[in-house]
Amino acid sequence: MVVEHTSTPIAPSPWSVSMRDVSVRYASGVVALKNVSLDIEPGEMVSVVGLSGSGKSSLIRTINGLVPLTSGSLHVGGFQLETARAGELRRLRGHIGMIFQGFNLAKRTSVLNNVLVGRLAHTTTLRTLLGAYRASDRQIAFEALERVGILPKVWDRASSLSGGQQQRVAIARALCQQPRLVLADEPVASLDPPTAHEVMGDLRRINQELGITVITNLHLIDLARRYGTRIIGLRAGEVVFDGAVEAATDEVFAEIYGRSVASEDALGL
Amino acid sequence: MAVSADDTTAVRPTPSAVTVPARPGGRWKSWCAVAVVVLITAITLSPQWGIDFSLVAIARNWQNGTDKILLLLVPDWGFFPRTVPALAETLQMAVIATAVAAAVSLPLSLATARLTNPNAITRGIARTVLNVVRSIPDLLYAAILVAMVGVGALPGIIALLLFNVGIIVKMVSESIEANDPGALEAGRAAGGTQLQINRSAALPDILPSFVNQTLYVLELNVRASSVLGLVGAGGLGLLIDAVRTFYRYDQLSLIIVEILIIVMALDVLSNAVRRRLV
Ligand SMILES: Nc1ncnc2c1ncn2[C@@H]1O[C@H](COP(=O)(O)OP(=O)(O)O)[C@@H](O)[C@H]1O
Ligand SMILES: [Mg+2]
Repeated sequence: MVVEHTSTPIAPSPWSVSMRDVSVRYASGVVALKNVSLDIEPGEMVSVVGLSGSGKSSLIRTINGLVPLTSGSLHVGGFQLETARAGELRRLRGHIGMIFQGFNLAKRTSVLNNVLVGRLAHTTTLRTLLGAYRASDRQIAFEALERVGILPKVWDRASSLSGGQQQRVAIARALCQQPRLVLADEPVASLDPPTAHEVMGDLRRINQELGITVITNLHLIDLARRYGTRIIGLRAGEVVFDGAVEAATDEVFAEIYGRSVASEDALGL
Repeated sequence: MAVSADDTTAVRPTPSAVTVPARPGGRWKSWCAVAVVVLITAITLSPQWGIDFSLVAIARNWQNGTDKILLLLVPDWGFFPRTVPALAETLQMAVIATAVAAAVSLPLSLATARLTNPNAITRGIARTVLNVVRSIPDLLYAAILVAMVGVGALPGIIALLLFNVGIIVKMVSESIEANDPGALEAGRAAGGTQLQINRSAALPDILPSFVNQTLYVLELNVRASSVLGLVGAGGLGLLIDAVRTFYRYDQLSLIIVEILIIVMALDVLSNAVRRRLV
């Protein structure tokens, strides 16, 4: 199949994120984020690190409104999240690609149908119900698949793919949104080391070639340093470090993790 | 707060000195359940409170029973032409009821599962309605509907439809809850509405369960629709009622053989469909 590249870049203009004293408290009473203030500039590639339970997923989910903030203010793109209504939140999410640790594909349907989920916010309900996506949307899906090198699998069932291939499909789904911001929650935690590096490389290319802002949750130090330009350290829901990769020494990581750095904190390779 | 790395390298006890943690309590619960079942069975069998049945009656009337069984063993093949219209009606009732029930059940299944309908109010309403629909037996539906719309296939079809919707929705909705919510979460994160998410992310995963239940219900309908006729709701049942009244066990036997063949054919068919789809 020949996919013609349109000359328009996938990201029209990347988004910034601005958090002021954001706290998140779940119904269970757990406080996942405490007075977090952050400014992420358009086009940045940020690694968010911290131990399991430190609030990394909560931070990322607050940014696309999957988790409501309890207090504080959050500005993403042109949206003010603490006051956004349901329809506005959907439009916001339409511009933000999200990548998950478990890939989150519909396993029994084709790769193409999974990638087209990225067009939902730009497709009418009637077209979705009939499965009649516009030809232009399909074209965007094909291009997204080609960008992550998995176009030959377009008609395969998602469940027939390997873990690394499934995560690439998930990245293509995010790209298919033509996102202004990409959020990745432990994107390589379920992958073997060589595949992990390939997938992290895909995310870096999205940032460098398309200029999209990318925020990635990671718990491995070497991946965070290698693929981010800025590191944000979370500990028990609070930002305990925020700076350039060069400044994030082993001592800084020991502070973020609340213990000395050990070999299992790195992927190796 | 943090665990020191040294903790994991602590000296382990030698195998002979392993300390098994205490087994959790609560095992008496399963014994209690067994005791309750035994007690209830004993009460139902007891002469004072139980239902009235005795094996003696079977032994006394065995001669009578054997005669009937012998008659059943020799079907009256010549009766076949007269069964054809009733048989066709039974099949039509079963197929129409299954098709309509499937069409109605798919959206209702999505409406009653938490993952595909997060709105507690509409989900509660849908569930309550379905619980009521499911709690009424098909034969009772048929009897009531015959009184309302008259004798014929229509009350039978409506009765089967209600019976089917109860079954399909319950089973499919349970399979939705058992599915991995990941794909739906991805649909939400991409800005889809619940309806869009259900169509593009939930539907592909529940389709096999939906097809399975629909095929199963079709088989149930062939059997059920032959009984519904006993209360006037069309199909083979009307004929069964007639031959039974005249003690034509040879003719009844032919009808049973016919139902058997159809059910077996449906089984082969549904297995073939299942292999393709699941
Ligand atoms: N949906 C939820 N409901 C209640 N508590 C939650 C929920 N999600 C996360 N938590 C809690 O919030 C804290 C932070 O979790 P999370 O953001 O998932 O951290 P991380 O991604 O760094 O492991 C943990 O204590 C976790 O148990
Ligand atoms: Mg997490």
